[in-house]
Amino acid sequence: MCCNENFEERNAGEKIQTTLNLNDISGMKFFDPHVHMTSRTTDDYQAMADAGIVALIEPAFWLGQPRTGVDSFTDYYSSLIGWERFRSSQFGIKHYCTIGLNSREANNERLAEQVMEILPNFIFKEGVVGIGEIGFDDQTAAEDKYYRLQLDLALQAGLPVQVHTPHRDKKKGTQRSMDIAIEQGLAPHMVIIDHNNEETVKEVLDRGFWAAFTIYPFTKMGNERMVEVVKQYGTERIMINSAADWGISDPLAIPKTAALMKQSGISLQDIEMVTYRNAITAFAQSGQIDENDFIAVKNIDQSQKFESNTILRGGQQPRVDKNSIIIS
Amino acid sequence: MLLIDIERLKGLSDLFLQIIKKNLTAESLLWFENKTALVKSEEKSLQLNLTFSHLPKQTGKTPIHTDAQEAKEIAELLPGFSIADWTIDRLCRIWLLMQINSSDKEAYLKKINGLFSAAEMNEEVALYAALPFYAYPEEWIARCANGIRSNIGTVLEAIMYHNPFPAYYFTEASWNQLVLKAFFTEKDMSKISGLHERVNTALADTLNDYVQERMAAHRTVAPEIYHLIELTNQKI
Repeated sequence: MCCNENFEERNAGEKIQTTLNLNDISGMKFFDPHVHMTSRTTDDYQAMADAGIVALIEPAFWLGQPRTGVDSFTDYYSSLIGWERFRSSQFGIKHYCTIGLNSREANNERLAEQVMEILPNFIFKEGVVGIGEIGFDDQTAAEDKYYRLQLDLALQAGLPVQVHTPHRDKKKGTQRSMDIAIEQGLAPHMVIIDHNNEETVKEVLDRGFWAAFTIYPFTKMGNERMVEVVKQYGTERIMINSAADWGISDPLAIPKTAALMKQSGISLQDIEMVTYRNAITAFAQSGQIDENDFIAVKNIDQSQKFESNTILRGGQQPRVDKNSIIIS
Repeated sequence: MLLIDIERLKGLSDLFLQIIKKNLTAESLLWFENKTALVKSEEKSLQLNLTFSHLPKQTGKTPIHTDAQEAKEIAELLPGFSIADWTIDRLCRIWLLMQINSSDKEAYLKKINGLFSAAEMNEEVALYAALPFYAYPEEWIARCANGIRSNIGTVLEAIMYHNPFPAYYFTEASWNQLVLKAFFTEKDMSKISGLHERVNTALADTLNDYVQERMAAHRTVAPEIYHLIELTNQKI
């Protein structure tokens, strides 16, 4: 039996209509270094912009359905540097990405070989700030092979690496991911170890890597736990992200966690480090991030009227009132 | 007949280089000249692809400055074309594309099509803005018509604004699709080259239907639509 009873239970409950109050962090700027916007709606983009997210990184990942041909990868990578980048700009959010072969699909070796051949066509593009997300899922030999090959590519290209750590056998998988990065000659400061938890963070930081935490309901970090991590470990080389995707996840995870941190007495400087500055420092090692672009994307691609004409450049999305029952 | 002959193409290339020299620092210019030499001499596309991608990081993206004389010369060499709203990276990219050796048709098409196939958003804008300058123009008509199907507003603008290629080469059906798409995406119609010259009854008919549809939906109608319908009526 599957989930019908659960649905009924979930959907029968009281439907609460409230508005999210983020007044505590009004005026703050945020950078989400891991969010899969391909899987999200325009409502999410608008909410993210309203909550202060000025820039984001979309790592290449598994789309939920296995790809069967290399052209599907070409089109996906093209969309990350093309259509999705434009879609984001319509809401005034600067869109970066990392490009890589995800661990799950590394297990299709015939396809993986072909994907490795096309990666160099994409990793040198403007706004590609790293190789990612790569690493382990099931910790197979094939995953090991393509993780190493992509680390070599990152080293040659001088790009940071965004490492996905596995859900299952996480602690050992994380250790192994770091061991291999060192074996392939990468400096720890060029590697962002993602999806950390209380069990992995200490070693990641001790070994000089960046430690990213994903605030994602049920399966990854909750943000109350995140507050405790920051209280214990401080803010050096720590960053948070939403990793929002096609699952039940939250593209406002960063602003919400910032608000919770503020309520918990963490200083504004520390909040800024983990929700904005550290991610920029880590990924700007690619030479591909210019903070002036966060402002430029608003002015050039989004809302500027030109020649006293109300036509919106590039097609800025008009704002709709979500609380009105009128759709015009 | 070509939109632009070899002599005028050379004239524009020289003029673009003159403007590029004024708008780049000595260091960026040196980088650009070295890379262009490599692109010109290579058989394959490695240097072209890398230079085309890396270019904005070296040149910056500031709007270019042209004087009135340069703007006048550009308009004379290629009526309907203008670089007034361009940034320096776009001009450098287009000039680089103009330097690719086109004597071997197959190799030439492969190089340019290769750039299209993995183009980043701003690269795509430059590739479409360069349409009037590619060799073998007949080979790019289908590419351009397909570009009109893009969802990326800036790509549409690169094809529609101050770009005389579509009006010169498009079939009536493709042209009408461009004009309708421009109205639907609320583009600045005053920037579309050939808009008034290429009015036709099929377009006027569709525009009339569009006006009726907008009015039935209680939506506004862009004044330029009425103007185009009126122009068509005067012609026939």
